[in-house]
Amino acid sequence: MGRMEVKLAGMGEIVFAKGAGVLGCIGLGSCVGALLYDSRTQAAALAHVMLPDANEGDAFALPGKYATTALPALLRTLDTPPALAARLKAILIGGGELFQNRSQALRIGERNVETLQRLLRELRIEVVFEHILGSSGRSFEFDVATGLIRVRAVGGAPMEKDLSAALGILRRAA
Amino acid sequence: MMTTTLNELRTDALREIGNIGLGGAVTALSDLTGVLFTLEAPQVHQIDTRTLSELCWMAPESLVVGTVSRVNGDWPGEGAFLFPWDSACVLWQILVQMQPSGLDDLNELYQSVINEVSNIMLGNYLQAISQMTGFTMHMEPPAFAADMAMAVLGSILVEALYGQRELLAIETAFKTPEHEFKGYFLYLPETGNLEKLFGILGI
Repeated sequence: MGRMEVKLAGMGEIVFAKGAGVLGCIGLGSCVGALLYDSRTQAAALAHVMLPDANEGDAFALPGKYATTALPALLRTLDTPPALAARLKAILIGGGELFQNRSQALRIGERNVETLQRLLRELRIEVVFEHILGSSGRSFEFDVATGLIRVRAVGGAPMEKDLSAALGILRRAA
Repeated sequence: MMTTTLNELRTDALREIGNIGLGGAVTALSDLTGVLFTLEAPQVHQIDTRTLSELCWMAPESLVVGTVSRVNGDWPGEGAFLFPWDSACVLWQILVQMQPSGLDDLNELYQSVINEVSNIMLGNYLQAISQMTGFTMHMEPPAFAADMAMAVLGSILVEALYGQRELLAIETAFKTPEHEFKGYFLYLPETGNLEKLFGILGI
């Protein structure tokens, strides 16, 4: 990882890679990076989710902006009908509450995570890796070919995990 | 579709309000620190999701210290300050003659210094606007965070965006020739209340 250019999902955006490529998000606070992986096609799609659900008449609705619209959009991106969604695996990163004792306690990070987890349960998509909630911001990169994920937070060493087994990625000959 | 029409006149008016407001705030900071701070020309951004990520003026993963305060009353919204870590250290050094060695050392004293600076500056910002418009505004105590720039800014913007159709940011930077220092101020008004402001100003 590192040499290959990372396809970054900006706020509300969705990025996609198949076979090879690195997907990621930079500086997730209350936002959540929701990634779905399909081992059959070796494709992954990542949404940078900002809010749990849409408010009426949204002026700039990007499909990845809301948890409720992001998952259907990810399924479409992966060409997977909801009935077959159970063959996908999910990764969730983010949803932290950086501001402690905020007067207007909207708990957006927590609600983003809760909403995504509930919708994934309904779709019977297994979450194979989470780095969520708490009080810190995060960046992450996911290598579609190897299943290696790297999560960075401020003031700590980056953590790395090999998710190839959990995602059903076959080891290829070197 | 944007629901508020921001023509040039209105954008100018918002910029001028930012100028007057932050002029008051920066004077208060100079009084507090004994250091002369200067303002950059305020900018007004009508933000859509595509520009949110571009609003981050600092390296996205660099460490920043920030506060956000809820403002209620005639022109409600959120007022936020962001300081790159080194700039926050300048403030700490001036105001309490010491600075944290790192994030682990960021105790309540350091947090309350930044909260107090934000309180005084936002208080003066609102006072300057209220003198011009006759608006009554009051602010709640600031919430504090120290983290990646993009994560802090994103958390502020997303919460301000909640329940709104659009987002407007009045952004100003302030600095001082005496130190390597830069501070950023953002006012994120509830856009539904903008017409009221324009009405008072007669535009």
